[in-house]
Amino acid sequence: MIHFENVSKHYDTQTALRNLTFSIEKGEMAFITGPSGSGKTTLLKLIYLSEKPDEGTISVDGREINGLKESEIPVLRRKIGFVFQDFRLLNNRNVFENIALALRIRGINNKDVKTRVFDSLKTVNLRHKADYYPDTLSGGEQQRVVIARAIVSEPTVILADEPTGNVDPDTSAGIMRTFKNINATGTTIIIATHNRKLFRDTGRRVLRLDTGNLVSEEQG
Amino acid sequence: MATYPFRLALRSILHEKWINLLSVLAIAVSLLMTALTVLSVYNVDVATQKLPERFSMMLYLKDTLSGGEVENIMNTLKKEHPVESVKYISKDQALKELKTMLKGTEHVLEGLEGNPLPDSIEIKLKKKAVGPETAQQLAARVKEIKGVDDVEYGEKFLFALSSIKIGVKTIGILFIVIMSASVIFVCYSTVKILFYRKKEEIETYKLLGATKGFIRAPFIIEGAFIGLSGGILSLLGILLVYYIVIFRLSHTIPIFNAFVFPADMSFLLPPVGLFLGIAGAAIAIGRIKY
Repeated sequence: MIHFENVSKHYDTQTALRNLTFSIEKGEMAFITGPSGSGKTTLLKLIYLSEKPDEGTISVDGREINGLKESEIPVLRRKIGFVFQDFRLLNNRNVFENIALALRIRGINNKDVKTRVFDSLKTVNLRHKADYYPDTLSGGEQQRVVIARAIVSEPTVILADEPTGNVDPDTSAGIMRTFKNINATGTTIIIATHNRKLFRDTGRRVLRLDTGNLVSEEQG
Repeated sequence: MATYPFRLALRSILHEKWINLLSVLAIAVSLLMTALTVLSVYNVDVATQKLPERFSMMLYLKDTLSGGEVENIMNTLKKEHPVESVKYISKDQALKELKTMLKGTEHVLEGLEGNPLPDSIEIKLKKKAVGPETAQQLAARVKEIKGVDDVEYGEKFLFALSSIKIGVKTIGILFIVIMSASVIFVCYSTVKILFYRKKEEIETYKLLGATKGFIRAPFIIEGAFIGLSGGILSLLGILLVYYIVIFRLSHTIPIFNAFVFPADMSFLLPPVGLFLGIAGAAIAIGRIKY
């Protein structure tokens, strides 16, 4: 599904990622871990082309994405659902509209938008908060809204950057359960986290980064 | 979901109502001033186009010419390209006309012995030929004709008229260009400000897979709305200027009767505003990078 081949990324004199080679299989749920500054977020950014690699090649769904034209980037991003560390919710739109945005961008009609948004809200147990504005929700609820927005367009891949970074342990467990359920439907999920508890005893693959190097690959 | 960009634009128009209202007013004033300039240039043009019908060139003939010689001169003149028609005015006829003109003040002619006026030929030029250069060249040619004593055609008036016409047109065009640029600039600035205010929102759109068209459309619609509203307001303004000022003034000041108001041209203001609004918005958004 996703393949990195000798990928490196530099920022001025600093190396964010060095010579990474790995693959994530279709339908897999994998974790990227490592301390702060190890390159987890950069790795995710390379997958959705928010950054471009300086060396190496990246393939998503069998297609090399390094040389994509600007007009093809939206097409790539529509295959991906994002759970951003900083949520990226629009505070001037209610929960419904925030989630609906992912569908409106894809040109889905109003009737389908309504059905699909409420379905995804149900998945994250926030059906009753559809009319609320993001800044009136708790951190955990906002995180679940972001997950609902990520899954509403039924992407083939979900990228989650520290999805439990702002929530308590109970909410964190709930979010992980949601990811497992989504993964069970065949969606590939990559979670970047420094929280070991999230992948401990899950049996999932864990890629460990340190100062931009892939230092180990193990089962959680 | 073709209506979604319109919903986004409407939301922005209502949310940012003050900046949008100010822009609409600024554009309305600019377009109104442009319209008034066009109106002035148009009226000057209409007024000057009527003048050639009244313009004539007078040839004063020597006293000693025979009827045949006068006939020859008339035939020569008729062959001149710019000449529309020629009319012989005998010295007796000229005196008669003068007396008619001086009716009531005939005493100014008392003491005159005989008829001091010369025989003359009045030349009417073709409408397109009435210009300072053509008239000057023709005058120089006909003055060389044997038997012609003098030529008179209001040289200074023609030059002055031509200069006024060119001057008014040049200033008018310059003004229209400046005002059009200012309308584009107002739309550009407004949309640019709105674009910067929504930078984070736009970033989110991009990350969720929005195309450039999806991002651009609401801003273009908003620019179009601002331009169109400004155009409609300026149209109302120019109609108000016409009916309140010119229409009423024409009752008391007769010169305003000659004023021509091209209503069709005024109705171009909204589409012009729309076009300039879209242009300003398109320039403001520029190239969207991913």
